[in-house]
Amino acid sequence: MQINPMEQFRVEPLIPLHIAGYDVSFTNQALVMCVVVAAITIFMFVATSRRLLVPSRTQSLAEISYEFVGNMIQSAAGEEGFRFFPFVFAIFFFVLFSNFFGLIPGVFTITSQIAVTFALAALVILTVVLTGFMRHGIGFLKLFVPHAPFALLLLLVPIEVISFLTRPISLSVRLFANMLAGHTMLKVFAGFVIALGAAGGIFTGLALAPMLLIIAITLLELLVAFLQAYVFAILTCIYLSEALHLHDHH
Amino acid sequence: MNDPEHRDLEKLGHKLDEVRRREQARATPAAPTTLGIAFRFTTEMVTALVVGGALGWFLDWVFGVHFLVVVFFILGAAAGIRNTMRAATELNAEMGKAPPAPAIKDEDDEER
Repeated sequence: MQINPMEQFRVEPLIPLHIAGYDVSFTNQALVMCVVVAAITIFMFVATSRRLLVPSRTQSLAEISYEFVGNMIQSAAGEEGFRFFPFVFAIFFFVLFSNFFGLIPGVFTITSQIAVTFALAALVILTVVLTGFMRHGIGFLKLFVPHAPFALLLLLVPIEVISFLTRPISLSVRLFANMLAGHTMLKVFAGFVIALGAAGGIFTGLALAPMLLIIAITLLELLVAFLQAYVFAILTCIYLSEALHLHDHH
Repeated sequence: MNDPEHRDLEKLGHKLDEVRRREQARATPAAPTTLGIAFRFTTEMVTALVVGGALGWFLDWVFGVHFLVVVFFILGAAAGIRNTMRAATELNAEMGKAPPAPAIKDEDDEER
């Protein structure tokens, strides 16, 4: 019996499609992405369709999520950050729903693909850079110049530049690695259950141990799914705040 | 000042404060797990090293020299430490938010 814990991450084309030599097939990943976006849209539409003064359960869920993201922006980027509310809200909910959908057994986890998380992170950083240059012009480059004697600047500016360049990478790798590690771990332990269960005799009883562990890990993964979406969104706010205010937080 | 109505109101005020405090505690985002914090710091450090090294490698290739990879690897290490310190500051700020003040000013509050 072969159990491959990495098989769950394989991107497979559902509808093969080639345009101008590029493979643009509709894959299982694209399918889950569509489902995620549809789920968020339906949820928000249903929740806000009736607009009751005393909110219904779904409406208050929508209100809580609005306030949650609002507070996050307020604390990290201040009043001015609210211009980016739709952006941060969309990113937070896309990552959150992707993570949660991925926890449903059999559903592809799109945030376990570095291509997806890096695209999101690149979008964030491009927004930050564009915002910075639009607001401060060339003065945005002051972000790379800390308060220090000139001789030290020769050393500090490259460090700051590298530090800035790491942002899209650490942002994407953190989300991707968390999801990849969590789901691989689940599948590895699930493999133990099957192997022990099939071994027969005393081993069949032992299969209970990894089974219990899977339940515990699944709960942990629920927390991680939320936390990673939160970290992604709050870092987006912090980076945007830097582009808006150019404050150096040394 | 000790009429029953006043005391009832005071009791209600305390109850409201209690509920509000509990609500507030629930509303603040979950504190990151220790593993999460460790993971955050590790990615900051490792990505900075990788980016620094890759940048040095690339510049070596552009200028046809062989020492920039070393220089930029060290700069990357410095940037990594910088990022980690920054992440620590952010985490501290996030966790150290002051608890909410009671909504109703009680008389015994003023006495103290």
